[in-house]
Amino acid sequence: MAYEHILVDVEPLIATVTLNRPKVLNALSPELVGEVNQALRELDVDDRVRAVVLTGGPKVFAAGADISDMAERTAVEQLHRDQTGRWAGIAAFTKPLIAAVNGYALGGGCELALMCDLIIAGDSARFGQPEINLGIIPGAGGTQRWPRTAGKYAAMETVLTGAPVTARRAQELGVVNKVVPAEMTIEVAKRIARQLAEKAPLALRMAKESVLKAFESPLAEGLVAERKSFYFLFSTEDQKEGMRAFLEKRKAVFKGR
Amino acid sequence: MATEVEVHVNVHVHEGVGLIQLNRPEKMNAIGALTRKQLGEAIKQVERDDAIRVVVLTGTGRAFCSGADVTELSVEGAGMRTPEDVGNVLRTEYMPMLTRLRTMPKPVIAALNGPAAGIGASYALACDIRIAVPEAYILEAFINIGLAPDGGVSWLLPRLAGTGVAYEMFFTGKPLSAADAHRLGVINRLVPAERLEAEVRELANHLASQPPQALAGAKRAVVHALESSFEEALEFESYLQEAQVASPEFAEGVQAFLARRSKKP
Repeated sequence: MAYEHILVDVEPLIATVTLNRPKVLNALSPELVGEVNQALRELDVDDRVRAVVLTGGPKVFAAGADISDMAERTAVEQLHRDQTGRWAGIAAFTKPLIAAVNGYALGGGCELALMCDLIIAGDSARFGQPEINLGIIPGAGGTQRWPRTAGKYAAMETVLTGAPVTARRAQELGVVNKVVPAEMTIEVAKRIARQLAEKAPLALRMAKESVLKAFESPLAEGLVAERKSFYFLFSTEDQKEGMRAFLEKRKAVFKGR
Repeated sequence: MATEVEVHVNVHVHEGVGLIQLNRPEKMNAIGALTRKQLGEAIKQVERDDAIRVVVLTGTGRAFCSGADVTELSVEGAGMRTPEDVGNVLRTEYMPMLTRLRTMPKPVIAALNGPAAGIGASYALACDIRIAVPEAYILEAFINIGLAPDGGVSWLLPRLAGTGVAYEMFFTGKPLSAADAHRLGVINRLVPAERLEAEVRELANHLASQPPQALAGAKRAVVHALESSFEEALEFESYLQEAQVASPEFAEGVQAFLARRSKKP
């Protein structure tokens, strides 16, 4: 389908979703969020695509929500619009999702990055949750995903002070995988996506699901879920192919079956 | 109160070179509240202006910069009254300025027309390259008035001069002469006063003629490397190089090299 606020580019095995409202620093309007969700729903069932890059382009990832649109809204209006609860498409996305972040990832933009599976940051990137300065708090997972990733104290500092951190600092805090020159961020993310796309899609899916399960469940429960997925994968053709290729010292070709 | 605002800092932009000149010669270019404000704006301006490819920071008169305006440190002076005020000025005003000088993706040359003391030394050391007259010196005088170093010199000086020299300067409060600084590599070039302007201009013009993205790449690589492991630095460089190889700058550079002609700007 045609999108107004985002670009979707499908190449062999990978896709890139680009937030495309640079004039408003990719402010996360309900329309834009809706399109991202729609695109991810479609890419999730698109067999041509095995991994996806999510980016805001070369200058900015997303500088939060549209404040002018929110300033005079009531609690009930906000509840009904449920702007922050509309990220279901990302939460349900089963393939590897890689954020390529240049410039600001603030507020909802930062939370969007934290919903991805890997974060590649340009050296110009800045991550932060400035909501506190507007008399509100993060509403799309910031208070939950920061502590689960960076720990309580870094999370408190980020959320209570509202001060953004550099790409290097975010890497130290464990919320960024790699810092690269800004002009290479998207390219590096795509290469990682291509590397992942060569792996067994079902194993990727189970691996992602298992890691995410760690944030949702006690250890014993997570271990049971992991084991079940581990055994399940022995029912796939790709497991047979992977192990045979290893023994035959050749490159495996995975088909997602 | 005079209605006319004094100009403590001049900015001249000419052929890709942005010259920032401290302009309080009667006060040895001491940095007061107004100087800070104007210098902060000047540094922001040269960073943001893409037409400026090289930045030069210098002083007018006998000194590069004698440091903070001590008359403002007293209770009667304008501005700083409490320890927290001093800390806040360091954190909210000096910190962004010095960080900008050190990280803006273009070369920054300090032209030391005379001594650089205290925060003045910090400005000199936060620049990428220093050219100085023999009469210049670098002074970390904090200890002489019962203070510890600030303005980033605890980070900059050990990297530029080694920890031994840095400690000696911090502990004794004695100046590092231009000759010694030159010998240690803290000052890149030593030139007679009458040649300083020409020498700096020549280097600045030369750098302004170099491919800007490659210049920026060199600076970004060093800034990144100073906070990285060797492996991280190698990886960052490798990605920068890919971007350079794909740039028109490299295409032109190689063609010019093969044709044995000079690069087009």
